[in-house]
Amino acid sequence: MPTVVRLLTLALVAAISPAPRAAESLNLFAWSEYVPQAVIDGFSQETGIKVNYATYASGEEMLSKLLTGGAAYDLIQPPDYIAEAMIRNKLLRPLDRARLPNLRHLAPEFLALPHDPASAYTVPYMIGTVGIVVNTERVKEPIRGYRDLFQKKYSNRIVVVNDNREIVSWALVTLGLSQNDITRASLAKARPLIAEWLKLVKVFDSDSPKTPLLNGDVDLGVVWSGEAAKLIKGNKKFAYVLPAEGYHSFVDLLAIPATAKNPAAAHRFLDYVLRPEVSKLISDEFPYTNPNLAARKLLSPEQLANPASYPPLGKLDTFRDIGKAAADIDKLMTDLKTAAAK
Amino acid sequence: MTDLVQASPGTARLPRFTGWLLLAPLAVWLIAFVVAPALILVVYSFSERDELGRVVFTFTLENYRRAADPVYLAVFGRSVAYAAITTAICAVLAYPVAWTLARTRAPWRGRLLLLVMIPFWTSFLIRTYAWITILKSEGLLNGLLLYTHTIAAPLELLYTPGAVVLGLVYAYLPFMILPIYGSAEKLDPALIEAAHDLGCGPWQSFARVVLPLTRPGLAAGVMMVFVPAIGMFAISDLMGGARVPLIGNVIQDQFVGQARDKPFGAALAVIFMALFALLYWLWQRRTEGRVA
Repeated sequence: MPTVVRLLTLALVAAISPAPRAAESLNLFAWSEYVPQAVIDGFSQETGIKVNYATYASGEEMLSKLLTGGAAYDLIQPPDYIAEAMIRNKLLRPLDRARLPNLRHLAPEFLALPHDPASAYTVPYMIGTVGIVVNTERVKEPIRGYRDLFQKKYSNRIVVVNDNREIVSWALVTLGLSQNDITRASLAKARPLIAEWLKLVKVFDSDSPKTPLLNGDVDLGVVWSGEAAKLIKGNKKFAYVLPAEGYHSFVDLLAIPATAKNPAAAHRFLDYVLRPEVSKLISDEFPYTNPNLAARKLLSPEQLANPASYPPLGKLDTFRDIGKAAADIDKLMTDLKTAAAK
Repeated sequence: MTDLVQASPGTARLPRFTGWLLLAPLAVWLIAFVVAPALILVVYSFSERDELGRVVFTFTLENYRRAADPVYLAVFGRSVAYAAITTAICAVLAYPVAWTLARTRAPWRGRLLLLVMIPFWTSFLIRTYAWITILKSEGLLNGLLLYTHTIAAPLELLYTPGAVVLGLVYAYLPFMILPIYGSAEKLDPALIEAAHDLGCGPWQSFARVVLPLTRPGLAAGVMMVFVPAIGMFAISDLMGGARVPLIGNVIQDQFVGQARDKPFGAALAVIFMALFALLYWLWQRRTEGRVA
């Protein structure tokens, strides 16, 4: 009994006493499964800065939690269109480029994009595309794009990411419209096409769309390129296709919120992640397109040849912030999903 | 008597004060975790949001107007249907189990009850993933059936409405078994014997004696399964492939999903709570009416 009391007292003292000055910390708020543990450990070991890694499952969730202001985050990982809205609302802190010498490794085509035209607030972390995965053992006909994919004969054999804006954008480009043209008129045009498509889909999954493909529950999918790259790495029967009708890229960024308590540590972490040998670790675990050219030199020929990781990218076409129009997409998709399920 | 009470008001007030003191933790808990969040939801539901999804406090009925849209009524109706089917299956499955438990002798009764509760020791999500491993196309069940040549091609089990109902029944079955068990245990076996003596067959004695006497447990079980089942969203995502939006999915999407529309999500949640309060009130009135 006395031991228990002593332990409890110790725990209480530890809980209420202020953290010692020496243990500097960095509050990182990032996607779940996007920053390798080895990178975090390596940074802590080298700098003595403790990293608190909190995670979220969508850019919107991140934004919502950041705005509610429960905790002060020093470094966040927003997708491009969320960063655009954050910059416009002065929620990000301008970067001190003098503290980021490793920025020189980044390929220029991933900088100065519409979400941050001067690259003043954000650093690209990984770039991805959304494309079609085909299980070539079960699907023999060529699949070149959305029209080939969404056919009656593939009914109940398709997985797509559970992301309403994504699905709407595929329909828009199939109709020859811009993926960022989210107006009532364009949504009305896309509606019948999406309604047909949704009837064919078996699974909607954003977290791990590769799982039903791997399990054999479906033979085709529209998924994040990093998920596709993992499938292809494990089994050559999977192929990755950039849809002929048009596709878009997403740029996942690192940025420092305006409310950050420790921007100095955030800059150190940013520059650490930009080191070629550290960036390579991220590519090993999350095989998206690495914007770090010096890190790419460290990758194996097999990694670089993975068609999902390094597809022939033209001019990057990214999502733009659509503000309140997100509610129109939500209503449209809820309606169509309900109708498709009968 | 009256004189005595009037003569010592101090002693009369004391127990009342102690009573309130004992109630205080519960009251604080209720205010902090039930009343306050519900009030916040009500305030949100009349507000607007800005382009980033922040709540802007104004007064608008727009969210309620939108919630009355047929799209969301259909989602609501479907959620009720799923929850009702789940509750019905749970009741049918749980009743004999609870009855058998209540009629089992002492050492075994405890052990069997423990078995009913053991699943709670594992995370709900992990148990759901276990079902995915069993049901998937190249999963354990299909593997077994193919191996024994019961079927020629894998059955489509996962990502179907049936899988969602299975997941819901599995998750909530114990919540039906335990209250029915509570009622069945208290039932005096002599009453059944009396029913038999008075000429009731097994079916009649069940319908006219056993069922009415275990009705409170059954009713509690129905509430405990139906209410959480209607708001569940994880099972329809994981086992249903997120094909069928249930009301829980729609509300979740407003708060942490892409819709970025907390006021609308709050309006849906408030309507939801109001409906339950109404149903509960009607149900209470009916049962009280019967007692009187």
